[in-house]
Amino acid sequence: MLPWVEKYRPKSLDEIVNQEEVVSSLKNILQTKAVPHMLFAGPPGVGKTATAHAFARDLFGPNYIENGYFLEINASDERGIQTIREKVKMFARQIPMGEYSFKILFLDESDQLTDDAQHAFRRVMEQFSVTCRFILAANYSNRIIEPIQSRCAVFRFKPLSKIHVIQYLKRIADNEGLEVDDQAYEVIYDFSEGDMRKAINILQACASVSKRIEEKTVYEVMGYVSRGEVRRILELALSGKFTDARDEVRRLLYVQGIMPSDLVSAIYRELFYIDLDEDDKLELLDLLGEVDYRISEGATPEVQLMAFLARLAAKRKRA
Amino acid sequence: MTELWVEKYRPKRVAEVVGNRESVETFVKWMKQWELGRPPEKRAVLLYGPAGVGKTSLVLAYGREHGYDVVEVNASDWRDEARVKAVVGESSLQATLEGSTKKIILVDEVDGIAGKEDAGGIAALSRIINETRVPLVLVANNPWDPKLAPIREKCLMLEFRRLKKTEVVKRLREIAEMEGIKVSDAVLEKLAERSEGDLRSAINDFQAIAGGRKVVDERALEALGSRNRVREIFDALRMVFNAKSVRAARAALEGLEVDLDMVYTWILDNAPEQIPDPADLAEAFEALARADLILARVNRKQEWRLMRYAIPVMTGGVALARKHKPSGFVKFTFPPRIRFLQATSAERELRRSIAQKIATRLHLSTAKALSQMLPYISFIMVNDGGMGEALARYFEFTPSEISYLKGGKAEEAKEAGARRRAVRRKKS
Repeated sequence: MLPWVEKYRPKSLDEIVNQEEVVSSLKNILQTKAVPHMLFAGPPGVGKTATAHAFARDLFGPNYIENGYFLEINASDERGIQTIREKVKMFARQIPMGEYSFKILFLDESDQLTDDAQHAFRRVMEQFSVTCRFILAANYSNRIIEPIQSRCAVFRFKPLSKIHVIQYLKRIADNEGLEVDDQAYEVIYDFSEGDMRKAINILQACASVSKRIEEKTVYEVMGYVSRGEVRRILELALSGKFTDARDEVRRLLYVQGIMPSDLVSAIYRELFYIDLDEDDKLELLDLLGEVDYRISEGATPEVQLMAFLARLAAKRKRA
Repeated sequence: MTELWVEKYRPKRVAEVVGNRESVETFVKWMKQWELGRPPEKRAVLLYGPAGVGKTSLVLAYGREHGYDVVEVNASDWRDEARVKAVVGESSLQATLEGSTKKIILVDEVDGIAGKEDAGGIAALSRIINETRVPLVLVANNPWDPKLAPIREKCLMLEFRRLKKTEVVKRLREIAEMEGIKVSDAVLEKLAERSEGDLRSAINDFQAIAGGRKVVDERALEALGSRNRVREIFDALRMVFNAKSVRAARAALEGLEVDLDMVYTWILDNAPEQIPDPADLAEAFEALARADLILARVNRKQEWRLMRYAIPVMTGGVALARKHKPSGFVKFTFPPRIRFLQATSAERELRRSIAQKIATRLHLSTAKALSQMLPYISFIMVNDGGMGEALARYFEFTPSEISYLKGGKAEEAKEAGARRRAVRRKKS
């Protein structure tokens, strides 16, 4: 059995939902077979990776990977430019055997590359553009250096709307013989924040409890997945237990592996509801914005979050 | 004794000089004018910048490549005008005769002769620049000493900056290959970081930790500056937390043979106990966060010059924030952060191995697999034996990985889910 995110991954461009403009441009490209370098930009879980695979499959046929036409590298796992250069070069410089004169290299999470690595990558792109086309995926195109962007056709992926996510989930539910309450769909969508991968994961986890899925099933899953830790951290800091809050942050970051940006977002959401004077909330929101920005600049998330929690700990609970 | 690598791998040609391309090219153009028999307007060039970034190497490489005799004069060779004239004057005034060897005069550590005892040395050098008939190259770390003013205006000034980390790593990698040494990028990167853009010290460190072995791993790094670490750290911490001025706080870390990251962690984790007042603590953490940001900029953008702000901001910031002291003595402790990472290393390793298996099968990074897939898979394995077993087969989890994933406490999760639902209700 496959995990559902894999089982229900779109296999061809026709199955991609809610990205009509992108899909129609890509189909044009397929017809002319003049494939440019491309940059797929958009939030997580909207189909960037799936689209890259679907495009390659539609272009090269179902054995696009086995036949050596397509290589996927995740920049988040291979930050060392040395590895990238070697791997990329090895793949890109060989002329493919068969009817196509070029291959496709897909670099996922390319905004994770450092500036230096991006500059090196840019040169590789130029050097091998005859035998290899590059598709880069990124959450934020502004973190990709200008010279790379200007060499790419940029495709913007839209966030998925509620209707599209729920439609997709319904298709899966029918196929798997599930009975899902409307309210449950709504809550799944809320938790997913438009991230289809997350939505499908929640649904599959719910299905492991029961074939009949209610709102409370969804809460049971989400209670397990994130056990209200963020709220607890804020409460600990606010009640003067700074070091406990600190230890909890370390657990989330280093053991659970929560991504810092997700942790910041979760704090952002909770901040509106904690027991603080409005003035203090505003000050802390401002500081959180600063923390968020510093992390994106490469600062250590743990340290920046501690500075935030220490500030929170210096505040008084609302009388 | 084997040869020193810094000598063995000194660039033989200008093209081999690492980094600072612009200054290197300007220097080559300047020499070209001499070569063509049309001495440039400025008869001397002043190469300046921190140690170990290739200033002297450039001159030696050029000489070697283009057939010049490089006459080296070191600052320690001379004390006064008489000696300057004796050493430099004579060779500089000799016109190059047809067929005789071409010469470059290289005066190293010019800033070193600006002191008192070298009275007249600078003035003599300044006169020689006016008259020289061969290329005169001066080298200095800090060219901005007021005493060097008369020389500065007569020289073509070429700045040499600290090398980028990638440049240092690349050169170390080349050396490793030529020496047939197996070493990871991580080790070379650590060496490069330590060197702060000083290639010479990086090469020296590398040779030291290699110590003739053909495989160099991260453990070898520990050999660098690890003596008396803990006692030194305690002394330094006492000075940092009790400093009354930024200068004193900064001085606390001087001569400390401990990695900056390590000192940072000690300060970070001792701050909560040493600074009892929450408002003070918030200030202290803000300073630490700002120092962290500076270090991030140094790392990411290779802005080594910013490095100097990190230490005073982190130490001074903590010292000045501490307006209230604990009643009674609170001893410094080994950082909980390090203990925590040690205590959780087996669990983290296991989670990582699970995440990697998920990542390769689902087109995800390991980080995303860890945070966005693992919890759901764990939930399924806790709840539904059949579906869980099928997934375990698909991902090829080992028995220990399976039992870890199943270890999640289902009851606790139900309660947490119910609490969460209640909270949501309240909010909306």
